[in-house]
Amino acid sequence: MNWFNPKKVIIQGITDYQATVCAVQMKAYGTNIVAGVSPGDGGATVEGVPVFDLVEQVQTTIGKVDISLIFVDSYQVLDAVREAIAAGIRKIIIFTSRIPPQDTIELIRYAQETNTQILGPGSHGIVIPQKVWLGSLQPQFYQPGIVGLITSSRHLGYEVAAELNTANIGQSMIVSVGNERILGSDLAHWLATLNKDPNTKAIVAIGQRINQIKSIIAYSQNHDYDKPVIVYMAGLKAPQAKVYRDAVTIISNHLSASIPIVNRDRQTVKELRKIGIKIAKKPSDIPLIIQKALAIKSSK
Amino acid sequence: MELLEYQAKELFKMVGIPILPSLTIQDARKIKQLQIPYPVVLKSQVRSGGRGKAGGVRFVANTIDAIAAARSIFNLSILGEYPEVVLAEAHYNAERELFLAIVLDYDLRCPVLLGSAWGGMNIESLLANLQQVAVTDEFSLFYARHLAAAMGLSGSLICSVSDIIAKMYRLFKEQDLDLIEINPLGVNHQGDLMALDGRIKINDHALARQPIMETLNFSAQQRASCYQDAWKINQNLGQVSWRWLDWHQPTGKLAMICNSFDSALLTWDLLEQNKVVPACSALIENSLADEVRAAENLQSYRDQLLNILQALQSLPEIKVIIFNIWDTFAVNREIVQTIVDYCADYCPSSSEVAVSSASEQILVNNVNSVDNSTSSTNNNNPIALDDDSELDSDPAITDSNSLQFSNSKPYFVLRLLNQESIDDFPRSPQVYLSSNLEESVQRAIAVVKSSKSSKSS
Repeated sequence: MNWFNPKKVIIQGITDYQATVCAVQMKAYGTNIVAGVSPGDGGATVEGVPVFDLVEQVQTTIGKVDISLIFVDSYQVLDAVREAIAAGIRKIIIFTSRIPPQDTIELIRYAQETNTQILGPGSHGIVIPQKVWLGSLQPQFYQPGIVGLITSSRHLGYEVAAELNTANIGQSMIVSVGNERILGSDLAHWLATLNKDPNTKAIVAIGQRINQIKSIIAYSQNHDYDKPVIVYMAGLKAPQAKVYRDAVTIISNHLSASIPIVNRDRQTVKELRKIGIKIAKKPSDIPLIIQKALAIKSSK
Repeated sequence: MELLEYQAKELFKMVGIPILPSLTIQDARKIKQLQIPYPVVLKSQVRSGGRGKAGGVRFVANTIDAIAAARSIFNLSILGEYPEVVLAEAHYNAERELFLAIVLDYDLRCPVLLGSAWGGMNIESLLANLQQVAVTDEFSLFYARHLAAAMGLSGSLICSVSDIIAKMYRLFKEQDLDLIEINPLGVNHQGDLMALDGRIKINDHALARQPIMETLNFSAQQRASCYQDAWKINQNLGQVSWRWLDWHQPTGKLAMICNSFDSALLTWDLLEQNKVVPACSALIENSLADEVRAAENLQSYRDQLLNILQALQSLPEIKVIIFNIWDTFAVNREIVQTIVDYCADYCPSSSEVAVSSASEQILVNNVNSVDNSTSSTNNNNPIALDDDSELDSDPAITDSNSLQFSNSKPYFVLRLLNQESIDDFPRSPQVYLSSNLEESVQRAIAVVKSSKSSKSS
């Protein structure tokens, strides 16, 4: 079982309004939502989906579950992830965002110890056009094709897909990694997945902050990939609030806002170019860059 | 949520980090009740740093001095913030001053212990000697000893400082902190330790589960900053809400309305690449509408949109309003209908504009626009009045403005991303409709540029 072919899917927190809306849409699309979990609501059904109190009860009644989609409140996410892992589920998408970071750190530690893959927190899910729909991305905005999209932003993903659709290139898979400061799997992780996917001929990574892209540099130093990789970042120059990530920068900035913080954005962009990654200035550049890169590749 | 010093010290006390005897006062005369022997330190309780240099920390030797000093501290604003509370604290003879902190490192995904043997006000030498130890696994006291040793501490200080770090760590974990800092940690000639100043930041996403939030008294400033975050937390599904982004360019001629921060960034980028900087940007957010709530949602969407447009009327410089919205067909249609209706009846009267919310006030203040025009006149056109009164004193400019835009109607560029056709949407000469982002941006830029050239000619 992998992300490309999910057989049995459950929703933890199915009674949540957003989860229910998602469940209806996914079922209509053909996703096999076998059960929902909502402590205290066991025995009920939500839009035709049976609800259980425990993940374990789903496993004993229905059999082995492949993927859990988590929609519970932010303070219940850590517990829900642990419950899913304890029940043997090894693929989890967390849709909830604004999770206290210490909880995120802890749940990622449990995931690593058990070899569980986590997408999110704050993910909008995965779409393989006309095949797989997991989550709240709207599949009608995508067309089947050859480009894998990994995005930290739902809307920017739609924008890029719209350009690809116009150019008749289409998408092989769309992954929303989420926009929290700590992620279960980042852009680079999915770069590896899409690099192995035979239907994906080119990969576009969409970010909103440069540090989301940085992991790609580290990844490319240790891995070979032969597909064109294009990076698109919105708002590099826009007046976004600065987000500091490492302890020393955070404390320096806290001690005195006047301490200059070195802006490495430009250097990161340079490094990306050096390892052969193309940078798109705007969504409409992306189909052109892909067509050019694929033409060069096929002529080789 | 950043705590004030005296609040941080209440948390220190809970876990046994030593603090000086102190009294918090809300009124300078209350200093008479002080039970601490003089000399005493009075400290302004504001969030901004650098209060020492600004005069917010005073040493006093007797009650008369203390009242006068407390009065002046209450009347001293530090970076725009007046203290609601002054902390009166005993004096401490520190032989040396250390710096200790614990911060969540998002790259390493773990808390990091930080320490410097050069604590105190000199930030440069503090940072030059900063040591760090990442807590990569369950915390144990040896992590703290590693830091103490790296700081160059020796003898009994290794254990006593580690003990303080362990207590800080306990607060860090239990209270969901982003940051906890003691600076300085005073060491006296006997080797005793004392937390002389402290700062604590609780993670915003964890505030609702921290019982300590109930017991602390927050200042107006703290509550205000918390309230902004609460907006994001309290937004209900199936509701429409809007807010300003913190982007202001007083000379801008273009306003943006988007339905997500990301699409606002993208639109901003495309404008910036063409050297146009928006005056302001509003976000209107609508949690995906289902069939059941669709009707009430649409009415709410219309109301919220009209609120934004009304607020924008106070910015006469704006010639074009660009929308970049992805939403359902029904919502898109409602947006177009609302704008077309708005263009048809656009004739603001003073009573309409008088409605103002807190967020509108913020906008109005930030762009230095006129906020008294609503009350001062019966004129049907507050924009023309604004031009006359304050914004453009040059009469020639005002003239050409009123020639070109005699009705002062802004032009609308609506970019609606959707699969369905937008062809049968209502139309108006004031409204440009497209599903293509870059075409829409080009159109908006053309309007901005044409208004510029008409001004200069």
